[in-house]
Amino acid sequence: MKSIIAFVSILLMFVLVIPANAGGKEELQKHFKNIANKVKATENATEKREILNESFQKMSKALNTLESTGMISDKDQVGIDGLKATMQENQDDAGKNGFERVSDNQLNNFSDYVVQNMEQAEMITISLVSLLLIIILVVLLV
Amino acid sequence: MQILHNRFVKNRNYVLLFVSIGFAMLTLILSSCSANIPVQQVSQNPVDSLLEIKYSIIFIIHGNGDYLYFDNSGNQIEADEVTLTEAIRIALQNPYAEVFIFHQKPTQHFLFFFSLKDGEFYYYRNGKLIANELYWRDQEKSNLDFEVAAYHRYRKVTPNKLINIFLYFGHEIPEFGGAGYDESYSERTFTIDDLANELKGFTSDFSKFDLTILGSCFGGTPYTINKLGSYSNTIIASPENLHLSYFDLHSFEQLDINLKDSDVHSFANKIARESFEKLTKNVQTEVSVVVYDVEKIQPFINCVYDNYNSTLISLKGMTQENLATIEHCDCADIPAYQISTINNGVNIFYRPARFGRSKNKLNHSGWKCWKY
Repeated sequence: MKSIIAFVSILLMFVLVIPANAGGKEELQKHFKNIANKVKATENATEKREILNESFQKMSKALNTLESTGMISDKDQVGIDGLKATMQENQDDAGKNGFERVSDNQLNNFSDYVVQNMEQAEMITISLVSLLLIIILVVLLV
Repeated sequence: MQILHNRFVKNRNYVLLFVSIGFAMLTLILSSCSANIPVQQVSQNPVDSLLEIKYSIIFIIHGNGDYLYFDNSGNQIEADEVTLTEAIRIALQNPYAEVFIFHQKPTQHFLFFFSLKDGEFYYYRNGKLIANELYWRDQEKSNLDFEVAAYHRYRKVTPNKLINIFLYFGHEIPEFGGAGYDESYSERTFTIDDLANELKGFTSDFSKFDLTILGSCFGGTPYTINKLGSYSNTIIASPENLHLSYFDLHSFEQLDINLKDSDVHSFANKIARESFEKLTKNVQTEVSVVVYDVEKIQPFINCVYDNYNSTLISLKGMTQENLATIEHCDCADIPAYQISTINNGVNIFYRPARFGRSKNKLNHSGWKCWKY
């Protein structure tokens, strides 16, 4: 009898606890927060720059790969274009494409800027599926 | 016989167990479907309070969207929950205030199918919790009917002149369309006109709010400020992005000191300055907090309103995909808005983003327009 009660209780716990819907945007935010943490954990400015550049490149590559599948809607395309523009701007700030790069002592703040810019970004036009695909691609494109 | 008895007892236990579970579930389902769950009256005699009321404050906290952010220590935070905690602190620490708090929450389900109530209302008076109620929000167009009705049901009727303050926290409120504002309800619409209608409902017994704080991105447009200005004397809003939960409200915690002389406009400037300082300390992105003196901005609004409205009409005809490509910009960047009255009645606290393409923008007019 006790085992049945325990079983039913566990079953009820699973049913009653509403699974949190970890949205795609949330996952993207976490991804960039992890990048910022890595940047801050490194003393060497060159390494900081490498971490940032690598993450921007991965993200851009993931967005291009997703686009090339031809599976994305017009609505998603608008959001993806916005994300690509943001990545381009970040890469410019990091010193790519001939732009004045962020100074060494500002790289930690810059990594926070990237996270906060993402927190403020309106990615409402990107579907949850596409956002999750972006994250999967970022992880796969090592 | 003993075996039969044991089996009977065992079966009876099973039946009792499942009946109990069924009853518990039915109770939960019925309570979640009830339209009028009884109010949790926390204080039995709220009307008999001896302290007079000087301040009446309404918080609307939208929590049905993506309000996640990371603080400087890397902690994962839900902005609406932070704002709710701050609102409750303000309610508890002001013995001469009544505070209405409406927390608009995401939809949740019991057993995957049964919707649970998606709003929670708190009413504090004289620093004490008087009522706490779960409620259903409007399911289609957001008229905020419950919020207005609850306000009129509980508000303290007094011959004294109250200082009325309204605060809204949420994402950018659309000036048209409005579908998708709530993450859980794609069909539900919410626009700045809906919010203005709500303000009209709140202010049916007094002319205007003394102060309105719009804690959302891109609130400082001629249309939005004009709409809210019909029901407010002073408005604090941001014409740019406003980073989630960094509006600084700690001066609200001691209204008897900070609003001692009832000078709401000075109080608004203090709140704006403190918010600006908190934001610039914590975020690297663009920061803008503006105080609008509704009477003094009228000449500017009168000059540009038709222009701005015609832009909105054009934008309304666009598809959502095309609309997403239209950016916001400082009104001062558009020739039609470059008029002498643009700086009248606005007190601007501005710092450009530390990085990115707008890092060299030194000034802001305090007004946001569409680059169209």
